Amino acid sequence: MQITAIATVAVTIFMLGSFLYARETLGKLSSGMLSRIEISVFLNDRVEDKQGRAMSEVIGADPRVSAVTYVPRTEGLRQLQDRLRGQIDTSLLTSNPLPNAIRVRVKNPDAVPAVAQSIGKMRDVANVEYDQATVAKLLRLTETIAKLGLIMICVLIFAAAVIISNTIRLTVFARRREIAIMQLVGATNSYVRAPFLAEGFVAGTLGALVAIAILAIVQAELLPKIMTTLSFIPFSTARVDEVRLTFELLGAGAIVGVFGAWISVSRYLRV
Amino acid sequence: MIRLRGVSLVYPNGVRALDNVSLEIEKGSFVFLIGSSGMGKSSVLRLMYRERTPTDGEVIVDGMRVDTMKRSKIPYLRRNVGVVFQDFKLLADKTVWENVAFALRVTGAKSKDVMRQVPRSLELVGLSHKSRMFPHELAGGEQQRTAIARALVNNPKILLCDEPTGNLDPATTSEIMELLLRINLKGTTIIVATHNQGVVDRMRRRVVRLENGRIVSDEERGYYFLGLGQTSVLSG
Repeated sequence: MQITAIATVAVTIFMLGSFLYARETLGKLSSGMLSRIEISVFLNDRVEDKQGRAMSEVIGADPRVSAVTYVPRTEGLRQLQDRLRGQIDTSLLTSNPLPNAIRVRVKNPDAVPAVAQSIGKMRDVANVEYDQATVAKLLRLTETIAKLGLIMICVLIFAAAVIISNTIRLTVFARRREIAIMQLVGATNSYVRAPFLAEGFVAGTLGALVAIAILAIVQAELLPKIMTTLSFIPFSTARVDEVRLTFELLGAGAIVGVFGAWISVSRYLRV
Repeated sequence: MIRLRGVSLVYPNGVRALDNVSLEIEKGSFVFLIGSSGMGKSSVLRLMYRERTPTDGEVIVDGMRVDTMKRSKIPYLRRNVGVVFQDFKLLADKTVWENVAFALRVTGAKSKDVMRQVPRSLELVGLSHKSRMFPHELAGGEQQRTAIARALVNNPKILLCDEPTGNLDPATTSEIMELLLRINLKGTTIIVATHNQGVVDRMRRRVVRLENGRIVSDEERGYYFLGLGQTSVLSG
């Protein structure tokens, strides 16, 4: 009976752990990509360098901003030439069509639209651009994962608790004579519950440990293979906090175990 | 000490076990509850240790309303009311000592209290020399004595016995009744539900007779069958 309970918790926590791992990786990846998105601020033609730099400082003072770079039109042209080398002969240009510009990076990717909007309100700003499509897509993805995550976690924990509750119920039933005598000689309900809750706790924690062990093995064996296959994704920026995840899973296992046991015993005690 | 006032008990299956029963039992008394095999006698006892609640009426034990008592207080009632059954209800995987100690441990008693009170209880019932044996190694009478020791280990004021000698032979029955008498002389209120005529007639104590859920007689020094003693008092 114990093995069933432990196996159940192990499977559930394994699924939970895999999901949490995937979610955290995706989350960090998308954050990483978002934080590298630049907001390009194009200034009015009449803006001189001195004013441009002053505006950069103002933008930089915004607490949401992590980096500001002033790109005078000459520098802008040079960067463009570098990028288009071999494709277009830019020496054919007679004058510099580029405006002075400011490149802005923000701390929190969620803030990109808002920051872009507030910069757009500044004087002498001709245009503010960022990769809207990507930002929107990534933000939506993160939101969906978060919502899905919560639902999944609740469902998994609930399912595990129900199964543990059934397993413990068998134990409770097997010990019903002893429980009856305990109640006869004046044991409080807490006293009767305690050993079963302990059993649930142990089963839950052990199950979580098994799951964590399997997850660790999977991570060691499988992940390098995934990373080489999908080498275009910068996994290195998405290091999952394994220690924290381990403790979270252990906690989840313990809670599931105790909760399931509590349900069983309480139903019996009330009858 | 114990009072039933207008108590009725109807079981979920419709059987009317008790019908408007009123009964008063003083501290330190020894009372027999007799009547045809059925639910009446056991039901009275069950009400006293709150195994059931009455459909009607009040149950008062040691000054407390037992029928309306909060569930959380029931364990404390049970520590003050020892119960002994026909089938002993011992834990088969525990020794005599552990069975008796169990009743103390569940109340959270400290080790030194356990070491003190368990021997006392075992000595009272004469089982000190068998404390390390298991129930299946004991004779019926010894098992019942273990159950009595357990029921008494918390020094309850009341001891309820539901057909305590039902599974015992006549000689052992006498021993057990003698033991109960000794306990009663020390001040414990004892109520014995039984259908053993011999025991009742030999002891000549208060006899309350139940028939169809009602008290039909209540004699101070009664006999099992009516008419052999003094005038009976009919109630209900």
